[in-house]
Amino acid sequence: MNDKLDFNARLIRIGTVTLIAGIIANFVPVLYLWLAHGAIPPIQDILKIWTVALVTFGVSWVVQPLTFFSMLGLSGSYIGWLAGSVADLRCPAVTMAQKVTGYEPGTPEGDVISTIGITGTVFVSLTMMAVFTVIGANIINILPVFIKKSFAVILPAVFGAVYVELASKHLKLGAATIVTGLVMAFLAPQLGVPGWVLNIAIIGAGILIARILYKSEAKGSGTNA
Amino acid sequence: MELKMVMNSSGLWIASSIMILVILVQSILFLREAFKTAEKLNMPRERCYAGMRSAMITSIGPAFAPVIILLALIAVLGAPTAWMRLSDIGAARTELAMVTLSSKVIGVDPQSAAFNLKAFAYSLWGMALNNLGWMLVALLFTPKMTGMVSKLNQKYDPKWMKYLMAGATVGLFAFLLSGQLIGAKSANWYAAVISAAVMFGISKIFKNQQKLQELSLGIAMLAGMMLATAIS
Repeated sequence: MNDKLDFNARLIRIGTVTLIAGIIANFVPVLYLWLAHGAIPPIQDILKIWTVALVTFGVSWVVQPLTFFSMLGLSGSYIGWLAGSVADLRCPAVTMAQKVTGYEPGTPEGDVISTIGITGTVFVSLTMMAVFTVIGANIINILPVFIKKSFAVILPAVFGAVYVELASKHLKLGAATIVTGLVMAFLAPQLGVPGWVLNIAIIGAGILIARILYKSEAKGSGTNA
Repeated sequence: MELKMVMNSSGLWIASSIMILVILVQSILFLREAFKTAEKLNMPRERCYAGMRSAMITSIGPAFAPVIILLALIAVLGAPTAWMRLSDIGAARTELAMVTLSSKVIGVDPQSAAFNLKAFAYSLWGMALNNLGWMLVALLFTPKMTGMVSKLNQKYDPKWMKYLMAGATVGLFAFLLSGQLIGAKSANWYAAVISAAVMFGISKIFKNQQKLQELSLGIAMLAGMMLATAIS
């Protein structure tokens, strides 16, 4: 146990230092533009921009790091919220890393393999972006229209496959939650429920269903004993 | 100096590359830690490589998806900025939205001739301030979440904790998936259902084909995208 705490403390230290470095790096271009070209918005306009960002994405800033924690874990959270593409890229990769190795989420082995997997995806996405920044528009021009069109539906395709993989370990939970989720997502706009409330509500429904299944299983094994 | 030259200046290339460097170094550090722990836990190397390989193959498709927006961003903001902002936090669409929202603060449209150095500065600030949100929350809350999870694990039945985590994860992806389906075109439904069916099929029918399992999500995703595009 102490070993594990030490290990966590080490990871938290690496994560904290690198995220602070990321926050600094995040502002280097605007500082450069100010120092080299004298271009900087007046402070009240910076506040205005920040307010616009806060109103538009502020809820995501808070809700996403919290809700994805169960999947990303400690190291994964530090990597995911610096390198981005959490839902569509890092999480599917974590799912696959655990699937092919058979290490379960929530165990030390599962955490290790998901970290190894996530770092692997960072190398892939960094390479990909660098390559396409350099070769630019040429690649898009040679791609067939059909392929370009198919990328419009990459998200439902990724989420569909990831969902099946997650649900295959808990069939009843998976089936009940997606049905509940679809019904809630259908009703929400009609009741004027905002997206972030729906986000939390569907996760809440998943946990509630998990609780019911856990209770009924505990009861079942209780009578058998 | 002309705006395009500022946007693609070597100074801005260097300024933008620092973030890439931080991301790269962070992943190398965490990877080293993970392999050290793997050794302590007696996890076979070959198995770790298999997991890593599968994760990397799975990520190729989703990593390619933002390339189209990358090209749009290069046209509007220049290559260094587009490169940095699509390599770090903030989805491609989010970055595009912030560019528009922040240059609108001074009433300029990003694709108009009025987009000048001033509007460019506003756009860069917009993306920086927006990305700060996620990084700051992750910085402050990740240690707390970690502490909370280990406390819960001590306090409650570990079996219930496992259920709880599974419920939260399944719930999260039920939200993400239903968001792609409800009110969407039939192509989205085809893509999700086909990709889910292929994933399920590969997992069950070819259970013992390790190599195929590593590719399963990539195959399922491509099948879903292509077939959905073909039939809709």
